[in-house]
Amino acid sequence: MSFAPRPQVQPWKRANTSRRFQILLASVLPIAATALIVLFAGFDANLATISIFLPLQIIAAGLVGLKAFGRRGFGDAVLVVLTIFFSAFVLILLLSVFLSVLSEGSKAISLQFLTQNNVYISNTTSLEYGGVANAILGTLLIVGITTILAVPLGIAMAVYLTQSQSKLRGLVRTVTQALSGLPSVVSGLFVLSIIVTFGFSKSGIFGSLALFPLMLPTVARVAEEALKLVPSDLRLAALALGAPNYKAFFQVILPAAKSGLITALLLGLARVIGETAPLLLTVNVNNGTSWNPFNGPMETLPAYVYGYLSSSFVSAHQRAWGAGLILLVLVAVLFGLARYLGRAKSLKSKPTKQKASK
Amino acid sequence: MTKPAPVRRKLSAGPLSTGDKWFFRSTSIAAYFSFVLVALVLIFLFLKAWPALQEQGFEFVYGTKWVAEEGQPLIMQIGPMIWGSMLIALVGVLIATPMAISLAYMIVFMLGSRLAKVATTLIDLLAALPSVIIGLWGFYVFTPVAINWETTLHQYLGWIPLFKVENVDNAFRGSPFIAGWIVAVMIVPIVTSVTREIFSQLDKDLINGAIALGGSRLSVFRKVILPTSSGGVVGGVLLGLGRALGETVAIFYVLQISFDINWGQLLESHGGGVASWILARFGEASSGEISGLMAAGLVLFVITLIVNFIANTIVNRSQPWRKD
Amino acid sequence: MTSLTTASTLSTEDISVWFGQRQVLSDVNLTFPGNKVTALIGPSGCGKSTFLRTLNRMHELIPGAGLSGSVFLDGEDIYGADFDAVSVRIKIGMVFQKPNPFPTMSIKDNILSGLRLSGRKIGNAEELVETSLRRASIWNEVKDRLNDQAISLSGGQQQRLCIARSLAMDPEVLLMDEPCSALDPGSTRRIEETIKELSSSMTIVIVTHNMQQAQRVSDQTAFFLADDNTPGGVVEFGATEQIFNGPIDQRTNDYVNGHFG
Repeated sequence: MSFAPRPQVQPWKRANTSRRFQILLASVLPIAATALIVLFAGFDANLATISIFLPLQIIAAGLVGLKAFGRRGFGDAVLVVLTIFFSAFVLILLLSVFLSVLSEGSKAISLQFLTQNNVYISNTTSLEYGGVANAILGTLLIVGITTILAVPLGIAMAVYLTQSQSKLRGLVRTVTQALSGLPSVVSGLFVLSIIVTFGFSKSGIFGSLALFPLMLPTVARVAEEALKLVPSDLRLAALALGAPNYKAFFQVILPAAKSGLITALLLGLARVIGETAPLLLTVNVNNGTSWNPFNGPMETLPAYVYGYLSSSFVSAHQRAWGAGLILLVLVAVLFGLARYLGRAKSLKSKPTKQKASK
Repeated sequence: MTKPAPVRRKLSAGPLSTGDKWFFRSTSIAAYFSFVLVALVLIFLFLKAWPALQEQGFEFVYGTKWVAEEGQPLIMQIGPMIWGSMLIALVGVLIATPMAISLAYMIVFMLGSRLAKVATTLIDLLAALPSVIIGLWGFYVFTPVAINWETTLHQYLGWIPLFKVENVDNAFRGSPFIAGWIVAVMIVPIVTSVTREIFSQLDKDLINGAIALGGSRLSVFRKVILPTSSGGVVGGVLLGLGRALGETVAIFYVLQISFDINWGQLLESHGGGVASWILARFGEASSGEISGLMAAGLVLFVITLIVNFIANTIVNRSQPWRKD
Repeated sequence: MTSLTTASTLSTEDISVWFGQRQVLSDVNLTFPGNKVTALIGPSGCGKSTFLRTLNRMHELIPGAGLSGSVFLDGEDIYGADFDAVSVRIKIGMVFQKPNPFPTMSIKDNILSGLRLSGRKIGNAEELVETSLRRASIWNEVKDRLNDQAISLSGGQQQRLCIARSLAMDPEVLLMDEPCSALDPGSTRRIEETIKELSSSMTIVIVTHNMQQAQRVSDQTAFFLADDNTPGGVVEFGATEQIFNGPIDQRTNDYVNGHFG
């Protein structure tokens, strides 16, 4: 880890040899000292990072800063060290999540894990048997129905927010924002209360309904951003050609915002595909394969992870990790696709060069 | 001047075509549906919560007892769980805020544009991680590490009430401290993205220029950046707080949920959270207790609505460029 | 130049315009006779572009917009009960300051977009595309790539494509809002030539900041001005020749000779 301020800070650029030496010393010494202490005094590495390395690094960088610029240099060095330290910390947390899911989850992954269902499998069954195919199917069906419900509605909300001149737009936006803070467990309870009130029995469709209020605000917000990116010129041009508003939207604005709207769909999917609590409250788990979201129990990936983690057996936990890995891959793929489309869009909207006509 | 004052004509008087009428009508219906949805959530939760609320009275919110055993009258008071949610959310916010501000500062003022883009994508990806995965990781990977930190905190700072432990055998694992960290991991992205957006609206050339001229980073940060952006950052932190209060599954895995109220001994092995409590109880709950859990959900929803509303108001006000 | 078709006459009567409570134009009375090119000149913020937008009812798309007075197309009030905004905009076409072809459509589809958007039948598509592009003098440049995306064209070509797009609707009047301000001199010259040719078959109103352009293309000129905190209005209106060489009003004289604005 380097502590020195970035080269935008001009004075560092002009650093002479002796100062370069000081900087080198200040970046190497603390980490070396910490490593020595960890190795020879048997100190815990995690702990040493915060209790030994960080203070040493601040002092070392501070001293160099102090020597170079006086008190102001000291303050800057501390600020930069802390900024880098905290940022690196988040990066390490993120990497730790990814690597642990990858390494633990990959132990469970096999062809049979991906293609079999979970009938006759108990917490102690060895990993050679059973799989998550039924959970993958259930997740895709339930989330698919949520998408069919939430995406058109979310886009219609975004259209309202960008195309109409209604005075209620501010209020609609506020309520949509409030909805995006809806705790997922409350969404589950809401649908559960509907189930109880009308005497329905739990099934996949209610899982879809419980995910719906969570997906809707995400789709609406991202779609609104996407529609705002379409230059208002195009809408005016269409209207000036005598288009009614709906034709201007469907024939001009919608095609121009297409990739952004697909991004809205993908980010909405990524938002709900791993939601657990709403599904636990509204869908009964199922070891077998069910194609029918309208009747009977249905397994989902998050519920699968939840179920096996609640047990205390190692093989059960490995199943949980395996399903977690599949979930992570799904989220990463959705997210990556969304990013890719977003980038393709920004490439296309680069201004065309104005060439002098020949 | 003999002419009378001009009379304004009614504009857009031209009748809308049928297609346009339907277009605007259907998008308006979609938009108003968000009102309906919030109202439906409140109404249905309230209907189901009413028996419990009626029976338990106001004590439901601040009382500290939950007895739901067969043959005994139901006593349902969610107080310790509300306090537990707040405690964990506060710890989470306290941990997440410096990280988020550092990240935003790093992305906007220290990284080149390409690295900044990579960092932003990573943060957004962190936001997309399902909480069940964070819970899995928190239970298996993070808890052992955190127990290590807690032991040391207790060893050296045990004299501070926050880090005091009554009985070492009943501490560290499943503590609000760990749950707070897990919540912090989950809210860092949202606080970062709000802060980053506010930082990036500042005049970057001016700030980098001042630093390049030998002005101090620290003084620019304290005197230019923080004062102009503090409002928005507070809004972002409140948004994070709202998310933290509603977090369910991840906390459920790492926290030892118990109804003994934990006033703030962060390292003790018991704490609470409304959302996790609902998850922990609903499986074996009788219909009477279900009503109590609905009431708990209602209370949670109202609290998060208020926090989110305040947060959004602050954020929207500090981001005037987002208005249309 | 000979008139082949007698085009419609557009005239305004006491047009005043508001945005919210703020009045930005007051009592504009102008007549745009058929087959003539009229230039609207004046400093920024004097309301000439706003005025142009009242002529084909684009003005009312701005939230808070208000209007009094009348606009007559061959004697009929376009704000009257017999007209709706759509049929006005079909008869009175508009070209914007910045070229704005539809980026997701091909060159050909851009030409046909007006008819499709306004829900009218397309007779002979090939022929319509060719005539429109020819009238906008861009046919020779694009005839081999009609299916290319419109944004692959250069800025000047895009603007002429936008003119062709309006022409495909066969409008009576063409409004142009500083059509050359985003273009290079070569493209500007070609568009000015196009404007002159078009005036044989339609009435043209053009807003411009460029004095030479107004002199080159227009038959008559209106000078708009807004004093501090008062609504804008027409100071002087007459033959272009007279406005530039012998203006009656001192302020017009100052403006056309570059003393302010």
